[in-house]
Order: sequence, then structure tokens, then C-alpha cells
Amino acid sequence: MNRPPVTTPRPGRPEGGAPLLAAAQQRAARLEALLGDPRDPANPHSSAALAAADTRGAPPEPTEALLGEAGVGAECVPVAAGGLFTRADLLLAALRPVFRRDLALGLGAAPLAAAAPVWAVGDARQRRRTAQLLLNGGRLAVVTGELAHANALTRGGPSAHRARDGWILHGRKDLVRDAHRAGAWVVHARTAPGRSVFLLEPGLLPADAVRTLPGAPASGLRGTPLSALEFTHCPLPADTLLGRPGQGTALALRTFQLDRCLVAGAAVAAAETVLRLAAHTVFAGRDTRTVRRRHTALAPLFADLLACDSMATVALRALSLPAGRTPLTTAALSQVVLDVLRENLEDLIGVLGTHGHTPGSAHAVRDKLARDLPHASLGHTGTAACHAVIVPQLRGLAAHSWFRGAAPPPALFRTGADLPELKHRLPPAADGGDLLSAALLSSAERLAHVPRADGARTVLAALARAFTGELHELRRRCTALPDAFDPAAVVLSDRFALLQGAAAVLGVWEGQDGTDAFLAEPAWAVLALSRLARRLGITAPAPPEDCVTQVLDELARRGRSDRDCALDGGAPTY
Amino acid sequence: MSHRSDVPHPSEMPRPNDVPHPSEMPRPSTADSTTPAPPLHMPGSAPGRSWAAVRARLEREGHVVVTATWGEWLTAALTDPALRPLLGRDWQRYRRTENAVARYRFVTSRMLVKHTAAAVLDTDPAALELAYRIGGRPFLRGFDQLDVSLSHTGDLLVVAVSRTGRIGVDAEPVDREIPFGVLGRRMCTPAEAALLAGLTPELQARGLLRLWTLKEAYTKALGQGMRLGFTEFGFGDDGTPVTADGSPAPGGAWAFTTHPVLDGRYLVSTACQDTGLDPARDLTARTMLDPEFTGAVRTARDREPGGPPRRAL
Repeated sequence: MNRPPVTTPRPGRPEGGAPLLAAAQQRAARLEALLGDPRDPANPHSSAALAAADTRGAPPEPTEALLGEAGVGAECVPVAAGGLFTRADLLLAALRPVFRRDLALGLGAAPLAAAAPVWAVGDARQRRRTAQLLLNGGRLAVVTGELAHANALTRGGPSAHRARDGWILHGRKDLVRDAHRAGAWVVHARTAPGRSVFLLEPGLLPADAVRTLPGAPASGLRGTPLSALEFTHCPLPADTLLGRPGQGTALALRTFQLDRCLVAGAAVAAAETVLRLAAHTVFAGRDTRTVRRRHTALAPLFADLLACDSMATVALRALSLPAGRTPLTTAALSQVVLDVLRENLEDLIGVLGTHGHTPGSAHAVRDKLARDLPHASLGHTGTAACHAVIVPQLRGLAAHSWFRGAAPPPALFRTGADLPELKHRLPPAADGGDLLSAALLSSAERLAHVPRADGARTVLAALARAFTGELHELRRRCTALPDAFDPAAVVLSDRFALLQGAAAVLGVWEGQDGTDAFLAEPAWAVLALSRLARRLGITAPAPPEDCVTQVLDELARRGRSDRDCALDGGAPTY
Repeated sequence: MSHRSDVPHPSEMPRPNDVPHPSEMPRPSTADSTTPAPPLHMPGSAPGRSWAAVRARLEREGHVVVTATWGEWLTAALTDPALRPLLGRDWQRYRRTENAVARYRFVTSRMLVKHTAAAVLDTDPAALELAYRIGGRPFLRGFDQLDVSLSHTGDLLVVAVSRTGRIGVDAEPVDREIPFGVLGRRMCTPAEAALLAGLTPELQARGLLRLWTLKEAYTKALGQGMRLGFTEFGFGDDGTPVTADGSPAPGGAWAFTTHPVLDGRYLVSTACQDTGLDPARDLTARTMLDPEFTGAVRTARDREPGGPPRRAL
């Protein structure tokens, strides 16, 4: 079925993207300056200080206080409610300095996913109270509902039933991040029918009906401690309900989607720190020949990080597109990002070796992120939830969308370009379209016309062709899926996600305006896409040697001068 | 897979009490027992009680190691009419392998992995795709509730699966000698070398083989892409890995086991990570998609004007 193209942003919007991006980057620069040099032992916000708090399993209080004073809570309050939030990609851009230093610190300071149901369906009072809380530096905790194949972080949860003048909430969630110090809880509860979401202020609940107990010590994200929350037939006034009864599943899907994209973006920022430290450690004081001879292993990890940044950026930007196609895209991209980062953090062990393990070293920062990542991504429970979004759509996509749909607006891939504000209202979860597969085909079509003499671009064209071939194969196999659940659909969902990743990388590469000469060259995209092809197990050309060298040399340049090792590429501002 | 044919070997078998103590791994129902359970032998693909034991072990302990000989699985492999779909993308590699023994070992080890995983996920083995990470680590595409590792040497096949984190397994014949000379020193940390230096040649050889398999298992668990040098980390007396400078080894909480298998002819070591998420004990494929999420996606999909007709999954 032919679909109209997604509405492109209206030109000339007063709050247009470029000024908004500049403003977010300014806030980021200010935060970067406030947080200071992570390697300076005298800095109370240094890597070593944050790691020490993490080891104690306690929040890094001076740093949290600093962020509170800096007004970071406003980042996830919509502009209309008095805050700074306009788009998810800009939230990440503004808070990047925090995520670069500590995943837990950033995720706790920007509870976007927790707040999303309030902005989506909350009434005026609920929105006002939540905005006040966050603008005043308060914290918001979320009691998520249980998902299939739940782990300790998602298991259990309370249920609610109607009472005469409200609801009765009963039950327990064992692990809730920040519950004991949050000014409000967004509680996803089982109701009949379905699920419903409540906004609770602990101080307004009867003291004998709620208990906050110390949770088990966590092995990751230890800077935001876990508590158990126990409700004993706790009466809730009717006005604590967010939206309508039974709207909880749609809100949970939305919460999950936002959380997943934010975690993917935050994880890229955190992984950038690890790669930058590793590059600095490995390259500082070594000449180019030694680097090329001994450290080629870092080139693919750099290409992968750029690819992950591309995918996370596209996922976060896709959230601003008006159609209901985004859950498919965001579920796929976030899954690939988190999987690739986990694998690459493991590969870094081999690159770094185990010597030189001191506080704040590349080793220590790597180890901490490797511990944090499963807790932020929810491990298999998170991946399974992504499959739950993708799998039901595969057959429909194969029948109605692939090779027919319109490509997304080019602005999706251009990080500096304007996009509409993220609409918090509940979108339809799926509309049968697939933006990125259409983008993949367009990219492949454009690349098919590159002159043969252009070596790297020819390889890029061949890679794009290989991914297009895989989409044909995927269509064939998805069309053959039976009505009932077939485990093969999960396998195809994973393959689909990697193709979405390839489309995002191609799109971001094509979207380069030439400001960054290295990113405009095809070398990094060739290397990153050849690795995605290998992850898919499809036959594709190997990256030419000079692509690898180009990527490695750029990493060495950035590593020596301490520049950002993701798409941004900037120098530190502290 | 991890087979290193240049490695020779000790004359005597390590006793079970040489086995390192399992460290930080939660083992709820074996709290009364300090000896890790030995690998389960699975001499064929017949469904039934034996696979139930594999599922039970995985649920209880977080991981399970399964052994077989390739001979025990060969007939099943060669007579399986669905061998091609079962091998999937490994089919070409199978066909290209010229050496018959290597080909048999390859096909039977893939059978063992897929049947083990299928038993645990409660699905048809042919529905699964055994894929490979860039560094070579095998994985079950789409089913990250299970981490897998495999090893084969001689007539032995070993498959290890875990639901708590990364897993690595390595097997070596016990009659393979690792001389405590240049090679031994090249694979030991100074602390390990000092410990072994004071022992009789027999005990040295025994200790070296144990260390070798443990180090292989651990590096496989961490990914085979860029191998960590064997002298970068060592194993203390308590079985926990430490780096050469004494700091804890990367990767979080690990449990290590070493067991003799097949009448003591081989030594099998396993390294098993616990990421601390206490993942679901239910691993089956059919329950992994959240029914409310899939329901919401389907409702929205079907609500779309002009969208595809309503269908089940």
C-alpha cells in the first residue's frame, strides 16, 4: 500500500531545530564546564569520585546537588509546562556531559520515561505538580509493570481495584530506583481490565498503607539505589489516575519506547568515554606507524561507536515524527545499539589488557559501564519487549510495506536539521509502515549511481545492495510466517533490527553536510556497515585496507587531542 | 573449536576437589552443596526425561553443561531429513569441510547445540539460527535469554548454556601434556608460576591443564575476538580470577568449574558470568513476547485505516 510521506517540519517555525540544538549544546557546554575535568583528582565530580560513590552504592551527592542547582530537572519538563524539553535528541544533547560521566546519574536526573505518562494523558493539576517537582530539583520514580520474562528489576508489582471514591492499591515491587527519595511515584498497576497508571505523592498517602524498604544492593547503576515499595490496601483518590482506566498498556509501551531510546543514547555517550580513554591510553606518545601496526583492533570499535551514535540519534529523532511508525524503528535501533555496545565493551578488555587498572582509568570506566549496561537495558527482558513490538508487525510489513513505502524526510538523519517537537500524546503503536526500510532502498538506489572509480563508495554501494538483498529475503521469510506464534519470527525480528541499523548508518552518512571532513568520507560507514553485514551473516565485501587505516588515523588524532570519539567530535569544554 | 593441538599434557587426572570453589554465583537450591554438579551426558536427541534434567539444571543453577561424543549423534545427524534447514547458514560450511572427521564433529556439535537450546526454549531445533559474533562467539539469534558456548576435541562434544550472563567452555584430553617450561611460563601469571614451581612434575602438569582450560573458558566467555593474553589474569586459590596486578578480573561475578568427563579422559572447564539481574527462570520462546505489548501493537495496527487485515501473530 502506498503511503503518503511523513509530514516534513514546517519551515520557519519560531522554535525551529537549529536554534534549539544550539541552545541544547550551550546548556551542555555549561554542564561540561560545571562538572569539570573528569581526570582531575581534586575535582569533586571526577571519574574517581563518581566511581567511589558507585562502589559505596550511594548517590554521588555533591554531583547530584550540582546538577540540581544547574536546573537539570527542567530538561524533561515540556516547554509548555515551564521546562526545557522539546525533543528527545535534544534532551540527550543537553545532558550528554552527565551521561558521559555516569549512566545512573544522568538517567536519575532526567526521568523522561517516568514522566512521559503525565505529559501524555495527565490533567492540568497532575502536569503542574510534576513540573513543579522536577523544576525544583525533585526526583520522580517509576514503578513499571511486569513484562514477560521479567528479571529482578521488572518482576512483580501492585494491582489496583476500584473503590467507592477512588482506587485501592495493593501489592509490592521489590526493586524501584530512587523510590525512597522521590517526590512522586508513577505507578503502573494491574487493573481489570488491563493496566492503569497512577501518579502518587508519597506524603499524601496514608502512612500505614505504604512502606518503603531498602532494596537489594544492585550490581549495576549503583548510584541510584533501589528500594522496595509495598502497598497494603492503600486507598487512592480518584484524581491520582493518569488518563483513563485501562490505558496503562499503551502508556507502558510509550514509557518503554522513550526509556529504551534514552538509554541507548546515554549508553553511546558513556561508551564514548571508554573508547576515548582507551584511545588516549593506547595512542598517546605513539607514532602513526606503531599505531597502524599494533592497534588496528580499535578501528572497528570506533566505526561501531559512530554507527551506534547514528542509530541512537535516528531513534531519538524518530520520536519527533508524527506517525505511529516509530515504535518499530525505535525498538529495532535501540536493541542493536545496546547489543553492539555490550559486545564492544567486552572486546575492549582484549585491547586494554588488564594492567593499569586505577580509578578513573579506561579499565575502571569500562568495567563500571559493563556492570551498568545490563541494568539500564534490562537485559533479555528489554530485548524481548522489543521483539514484542516488532514480531506482530513482520508479516504485515512484508505484505504491505517493504518495497512500497515512502522514505522518511531527510531531516531525520541530519542531526542539525529542524524537526517537530516530540508530541507526548499517545500515538498509535503501529501503523504498518516502516520508515527505515524505505530509507535503505533510497540510499541503495542513490549509491548505485556512483562512478566505478570511487573505491570506497563502490564498496558502500555493494554493501547497500547486500542489505537490500537481505530485505528481499526477509520479505520472503516473513510472508511465509504462520498465523500462530512461530519462534522463527523472533529470529527474523533480530535480522530486521540489524537492517534498520544499516539504514540508519547509511542515512546519517548521506546526511553529512561536509562540516566534518572525516564523517563525510565513506570510510567509517564502510567499516561499520561491513560489520553489520557480518552480524547478519550475509555475504558482503570486506572493507578496503585504506578505509580501516583512515578510521584508525582519525581515532588516533582524536585520542591524542582528547576530542570526542562519537559523531560530535568536539573538544572538551571544561 | 578452542582446540589447541600444540598443547601437550599431564599424566594424572585432577580430582574433583582440585576444582575451584564457585564464587559469587547465586545457587539457590544447591546452597547445601559446595561441589558444582558435573556435566550432563546426552547421548542422543530422543526427547524425554533427559532433556528435562537439562532444563531443571538450568533453572536451578543458572547454567548447564552438556556432553556427548560425536559418534553418539552421528547417525541422527546423517539420517535427519531436515539436516539442511537445521544447519541453516552452517550448511555451506558443513559441505565445504573435506576432512570427514572434522565434518562429523562440526555437524554433530551443531546438532547438540541446537537440540540443547531447543529443549530449553521448548521449540523446534530448525526454527533456531545459530549465528556467530564477529569474534566467532556463537549465539542463538533473537534468543538472548541463553548464552551458549561450545568446544570439541577428540571424540568429545561439549555445549554450555547459561541464563545469567556470558558463558565459556573448554575441553582438553587429560593425556595432553603442557610442559612446565617455556609454554607453561607463557600462560601463567608470576603468582601461578610460583605456586606451580614448588610441585612435582605430575602435579605441575595437572595444575597447568586445569589453568589452561579455565583460561580458555574465561576468554571464550569474554568473546573470542581479541583474546586476552593468558598472563594478563590468573586464578587464585579460591578459584576467582584476578589480574596480574591483583585487581579483580573484568566482567563482574564469575563462577568457575572444572570437571573430568567421559571416564576421566577429558577435562572440561566452564566460566559463567552473573550480570546480577536474576533473570526469568522461564526461558521458553512462546512466553517471551509480552502478550499485552503484542496485543497493543496488533490493536493499533489493525485500527489503522486501510491497514492490513486483522490477523493473529
